[in-house]
Amino acid sequence: MIFQLDTSTDTTIGIALLQVRIDASNCNELQKAFSLWLQQSANIVFDCSALDFIDSSGLGTIVSCLRKALEHKGDLRLAALGPKVSLIFELTKAKQLFSIYPDAASAVASFNAATAGQ
Amino acid sequence: MKTIIITKGVDYPWLHDILPGHHPLLVPLCNKPFIEFFIDFSILAGSTAIRIISDETINDVADFCEKGDRWGIDISYANSLPSDSLNKILEKNSKFCSNERIMIINNILFFHYNKNADYRSFFASLPSGDVLGFDQKTLSLTGSPVASENSRETPPLSTVVLDSAGQYYELAKDLLHNRLLHYVLPGYNNEAGCYIGRNVVIQKSAKIVKPVIIGNNVQILAGSVIGPAAIIGNNVIVDRKSTVASSIVMDNTFIGEQLEVERKIASGNVLIDPESGQSLTMEDPHLLSSISQTGGSATLFLRIVHGCIAISLITLLLLPYLLLRPILELRGSWSTKTTIYHSAKPRCKVALPVTTLRKKGMLSALAAFFSLDRYMWLFKVLSGHLDLIGSRPVEVTQESKAHLRPGVFSYAEAEDWPQNDIDSDIVNHYYAVHSNPFKDIAMTQKALFNRIHQEDTV
Repeated sequence: MIFQLDTSTDTTIGIALLQVRIDASNCNELQKAFSLWLQQSANIVFDCSALDFIDSSGLGTIVSCLRKALEHKGDLRLAALGPKVSLIFELTKAKQLFSIYPDAASAVASFNAATAGQ
Repeated sequence: MKTIIITKGVDYPWLHDILPGHHPLLVPLCNKPFIEFFIDFSILAGSTAIRIISDETINDVADFCEKGDRWGIDISYANSLPSDSLNKILEKNSKFCSNERIMIINNILFFHYNKNADYRSFFASLPSGDVLGFDQKTLSLTGSPVASENSRETPPLSTVVLDSAGQYYELAKDLLHNRLLHYVLPGYNNEAGCYIGRNVVIQKSAKIVKPVIIGNNVQILAGSVIGPAAIIGNNVIVDRKSTVASSIVMDNTFIGEQLEVERKIASGNVLIDPESGQSLTMEDPHLLSSISQTGGSATLFLRIVHGCIAISLITLLLLPYLLLRPILELRGSWSTKTTIYHSAKPRCKVALPVTTLRKKGMLSALAAFFSLDRYMWLFKVLSGHLDLIGSRPVEVTQESKAHLRPGVFSYAEAEDWPQNDIDSDIVNHYYAVHSNPFKDIAMTQKALFNRIHQEDTV
């Protein structure tokens, strides 16, 4: 997982590039890393362009990350969901919980647009 | 007229995603296998015999269609080589063709027809040649027309391109929305747009929205919504609060709790998006999984329990058997005849010694008390041909079919109330489906006890 901060605008946005697979074997790792990322920014984008497989544990972890971000008055947005991952999000209705964007750049832009609108 | 149906498995690799390991002709469309549509159509067109030819193994197709008695038509089977041309196949099957008019369904999985139209006179009047088709996929006729005049109306007949899961999905949707009445489809159809199979449990708060087709042995649990435009196959469980709309759920599939299956094909643990053609194999059994009808750890445990009890009974009854049988045979109270029965193993038969024990005297009563007439059957539990307790074994005849889990003792013997064979079959079937190893132990004890009171033990 690669995490970087986008500080090009007034709002600092964290962008995390997720790994190929998130399942029961590595979801705790994401959980722990997310807590650290939250200390740097409450607005985070998960770039899922490399993510090819997610199981229910991984999905539960991402939902838990969203909850933590909301508790910190921020948001977690998803970008570049692949077709297989998209199927899981549709099947479990998780798509309704998240704001999903075609790529990381548009997800970052959505945060900035929201800030500009306020 | 006769019909020849030719399929080449290599032409349908996409079907292996939907139902892996199945012959293309057995893949269901609206819960009816493709082959059944062809059989229906052949009958409508006036065929008296069908030959199914494939370059893949067709044992499964033969098991499903058997000799065609269900449809009142003769069905036979033959294999071809992938390299065989149509002429070569016809040449190989010249004995079947025997100068009759032949309708050849070559490499097509499906075409539209209407069961209410008159195809018999239409086909009888057509000259030989292609009736339908494109690109080596044809419906054609050989031989001279039987009727001299052309049929007045051309009945509906049109080809369907089936080259992907998406086209299969669209075809099923088209049938469901527009052509349900054109075909004979399985299930009870008390109202338009709704076909429901046997042994379907729909819990009170579940909702069914037409059009829907629901197969046999389906459980739709509380709060679920099925439809509109849902096709649910056989042996399917839709768990609580899940939605299945504009989707096809293939046979033996479990849909987990609170899921939304919309515009998808679910087959076992594979979820297919017909639009993109993307398929996903689920690793979470609580989301989507296949339902195994046989095998699995539960069946293994059941077999172990049955095997252990059989070994115990064999050991306990060895001495009484060795002592009593020769004496009773000498007295004429013990007679044995070997009969062939359907085995618990799929497509297997088993020879069982059927003993008639006449209860005359104390020794006969003692032999009956120990159920010694079934002693030799206990060994068949160890070889897997019989369960310890199950349904009554069925003798192999031309008409008979294998029952679920034949056993040394039957559940009907344990229950004691069935008055006739039909009652017994119902009891046996109920327990064969709903039993567990511990219940089986208790039922075996009951069966052993009840058999003591029978007049003649067979």
